[in-house]
Amino acid sequence: MRPTPYPFSRWSPADNNKFASAEIYFEGRMLMEIMPQEFSSLLEAYPKDRRYALAVMQDMQRQYNYVPREGLEALAEYISRPVAELFSMATFYKSLSLKPKGVHIIKVCNGAACHIRGAVNLVGGIKRIFGIAPGETTEDGMFSMELVNCMGSCALAPVMTVDGKYYGQVKIESLSAIFEALRNEAKP
Amino acid sequence: MNRTVLVCCGTGCIANGSLEVAEALRRAISETKTHAIVETVIKQTGCNGFCENGPIVRIMPDDISYYKVKPKNARDIVNSIGEKPVEQLLYKNDEGTPVLSQMENPFYMSQHKTVLRNIGEIDPGNLSDYLARGGYSALKKALFMTPDAIIREVESSGLRGRGGAGFPTGRKWRTAAGFEALPKYVICNGDEGDPGAFMDRSILEGDPHSVLEGIIICALSIGALEGFLYIRDEYVLARKYVQKAIHDAESAGILGGSIMGSGKRLNLSVVRGGGAFICGESTALMASIEGRVGEPRAKYARSAQRGLWNQPTVLNNVETFANIPIIINNSGENFTKIGAENSKGTKVFALVGKVRRSGLVEVPMGVSLRYLVNNIGGGVIDGRPLKAVQIGGPSGGCIPEAMLDLPVDFDSLTNYGAMMGSGGMIVMDDRSCMVEVARYYVNFLAEESCGKCTPCREGLRQMLAILTDICEGRGKEGDLELLEEISRALIGASLCALGKSAPNPVMTGIRYFRDEYIAHIMEKHCPAGVCAALTAFEIDASVCVGCTNCKRACPTGAVTGEVKSAHNINQAACVACGACREVCRFGAVRAIKRRFAV
Amino acid sequence: MIIEIDGKACTCSPGEYLLNIASRNGFSIPTLCHHDGLPGQGCCRVCIVEVSLRDRKDIVTACIYPVEQECSVFTDSDRVKRQRGMILALLRASAPESEEISRLCKMYDAPLYERLTQKANEKCILCGLCVSACETLGASAISSVNRGVEKTVSTPYDEPAADCIGCASCAAVCPTGAISVEENNSSRAIWNRKFTLQLCRHCGKPVGTLDELAFAARKTGVAQTTLCEECRRKAIADEMITAYER
Repeated sequence: MRPTPYPFSRWSPADNNKFASAEIYFEGRMLMEIMPQEFSSLLEAYPKDRRYALAVMQDMQRQYNYVPREGLEALAEYISRPVAELFSMATFYKSLSLKPKGVHIIKVCNGAACHIRGAVNLVGGIKRIFGIAPGETTEDGMFSMELVNCMGSCALAPVMTVDGKYYGQVKIESLSAIFEALRNEAKP
Repeated sequence: MNRTVLVCCGTGCIANGSLEVAEALRRAISETKTHAIVETVIKQTGCNGFCENGPIVRIMPDDISYYKVKPKNARDIVNSIGEKPVEQLLYKNDEGTPVLSQMENPFYMSQHKTVLRNIGEIDPGNLSDYLARGGYSALKKALFMTPDAIIREVESSGLRGRGGAGFPTGRKWRTAAGFEALPKYVICNGDEGDPGAFMDRSILEGDPHSVLEGIIICALSIGALEGFLYIRDEYVLARKYVQKAIHDAESAGILGGSIMGSGKRLNLSVVRGGGAFICGESTALMASIEGRVGEPRAKYARSAQRGLWNQPTVLNNVETFANIPIIINNSGENFTKIGAENSKGTKVFALVGKVRRSGLVEVPMGVSLRYLVNNIGGGVIDGRPLKAVQIGGPSGGCIPEAMLDLPVDFDSLTNYGAMMGSGGMIVMDDRSCMVEVARYYVNFLAEESCGKCTPCREGLRQMLAILTDICEGRGKEGDLELLEEISRALIGASLCALGKSAPNPVMTGIRYFRDEYIAHIMEKHCPAGVCAALTAFEIDASVCVGCTNCKRACPTGAVTGEVKSAHNINQAACVACGACREVCRFGAVRAIKRRFAV
Repeated sequence: MIIEIDGKACTCSPGEYLLNIASRNGFSIPTLCHHDGLPGQGCCRVCIVEVSLRDRKDIVTACIYPVEQECSVFTDSDRVKRQRGMILALLRASAPESEEISRLCKMYDAPLYERLTQKANEKCILCGLCVSACETLGASAISSVNRGVEKTVSTPYDEPAADCIGCASCAAVCPTGAISVEENNSSRAIWNRKFTLQLCRHCGKPVGTLDELAFAARKTGVAQTTLCEECRRKAIADEMITAYER
């Protein structure tokens, strides 16, 4: 029996152990170090008000591909709100993630149009190439796959984006070529 | 003669490479300019709606549209200006004849563009383009009207909210205007979360100023000095254009400290959505702007009285605001001349799924679903039989083929268990399983529910478990009755509209496709050949020509066979994903009932 | 203003919540997430009743429904019974360990659906009272985590709660006894943390945790007594007696 094709992405306590620190690690290899002063420049772009909490966390997400724990705590202090409240928001909104993601983020659209035009098969194709299921990251930390809700390009279904670039009417056969090009591009 | 080359740069066309095409055209124009007689300008526009055939390039004023343009075609196009059009890039109508203008293209000819009037015609990043097409003239007019007169005009238009529920816009404004409490707020809901819908995205990307104009007029009528546009995090391009539009309007004195020198002010800002479908619900959206978790609250007190930060607030959808300038300019009475009895004006739909011509379409309210699918959409892909149209997204329902003569307006759809929703319209053929579709939507809602109230959270959890069982061959007798009973509790006792409408996909499914549910439960058979646990695929050797398409598409290597000889499926390796059937052009791959245990 | 509940005329003032009016007039409407000190939850939906207003009959949530117009209320109509039964059945499946829910299910004849998937070892019904209590008294150590069917209540990062003061208010307001508090003579364990108890200097009974008293002192600016409620009352009485004797 195949695993259910649409897993929920959720935060679980198991995510703590690996990613508690502000450095981004994959399999013990450090990919990016975060300087504490970076947070202050992110924070100070906004007034000290609760209503900007989401925006600040989204900026962190953009910068680091996740919301680091230190960042969340710094924000709590900056706007004088409890950590629990921000933690609640960070697990509620799907544009935020508490665990780091890969260098390249593949988002496969599972909107209704893409779904009936075979989005789940695309997920299978990507799994065959990278060995990762939605919500997972390759061992080398290069690629993450996410199954997301409608991205609003239904007329091009099935759609996926890689690092924000749209690919429409994707065929399973053409997946490897797309990723091969990216892998070569990404090589230092 | 001056020519303008319009290159569609909506998200869809950009995905197809329209930015490269625009660049190539620019280069081709500059290279050929020395001996060109025509003065040519190139413009990047918003979405033309026909994304599947993008990138789309239009030559104006000749009104010649080219589709699926590649950068290598740029020189041909530029050379053809004023000469014979490039025939291979023209759209071919149902008879196979190439057509020049949009008006001859069957996808566009039956449409009625009102809200989408400027999209594809103007550069969304250019305020003068909007002004040249009469932009902000409605605002100018409104500045000389009393708030009451503005609201009366909107009321007389009969405009109903385009976000889904269809609440009369004028009445909402009148309520908010009636409260003395200050400050007041105006919010534009651009958190389009319905899977299969992209109307708001296209409007924001293609004609942001028309939305701003509507918002400013609303603010004037209710006395709001601050406004927000809540736009989905994923809509990067839309946010960029809206930010620019706000900035340009402020610089031009249309927005900000003194609106067109009237002394009235309005501040507008963009709020990035957090990525939660529930934030399309007005009270959850307001909670999100306030910097809280997006949980809705009971609406026993209306937002018009106690909305954002407990102040009087008007919240309308993007498309609703885009209608306002038209109403003010042409009068509410003229607006009522188009549309159906209790649903005036036009509606934009995202016609997608297994339809030949999919894209964004605008039609008068009240046209039939069949007209939309067959005349505009050109019927189902590959001429397969039409099974149902899902309308209204997760809150809507599936309308079966037999009922497609139903007029599309707010009330007719609700009577049949579906809902207008924001306008997503997904065409399904005989290879779409209605049980699986219901499960898809329930799964979506179970994840997107905020989880606050019992019926929605626990009811959806149980419905998902039962539907998954049915799809995987563990359905039991009595499941349908239980699903209906849970649905009743959701409809009656949920806190917000998400829960109250969540059972629609399941209820309409059971109502119109009961046989298909029974087949899953009693016979463990998925007639559409979608539910993998109940389905096996086989290749009819007498039909297979050995093109190897299926072999290349198979994700597990289960298909074997040599070129030009019949292929075979190794059932032990097959996961029944159906990819082989999808790519087979000869109808050789067939879905059959799975006979062995899984 | 007068409304009718199950045929009985009841007086109320406009804007008053229906649940309050009903209980004042002797009607017992079941509820789980309602707490007088923390109003406005409105999420367990067990207190649904049917309201007939003009020509419409609607199911409303009694605890948060403000009565603005004259209407007739039915607390036990067929529609109410049926939907409430399903809600209780859903709650029983989500919190099978809760005795309170079993009791309500029995009392209101919730049908037994064996087909429903039961959660293992669960008492919590996610009503959010604990989070509200914690927030209201100012600690905000716990919050809701995730959303939809994955929603839970927990501390940040599921770790021993840094901001917790061990007051156990969350456990006190919990309608199903889902929050575990372990207490012995000198300490209290809650949310994976252990707190030292301040014992009454007179009788030796626990007054509260040290963190709790320090928190209260910080908030009020008044040093907190180390007497338990009973001994404090006694001490005041003693003081008054000596005052009169003088």
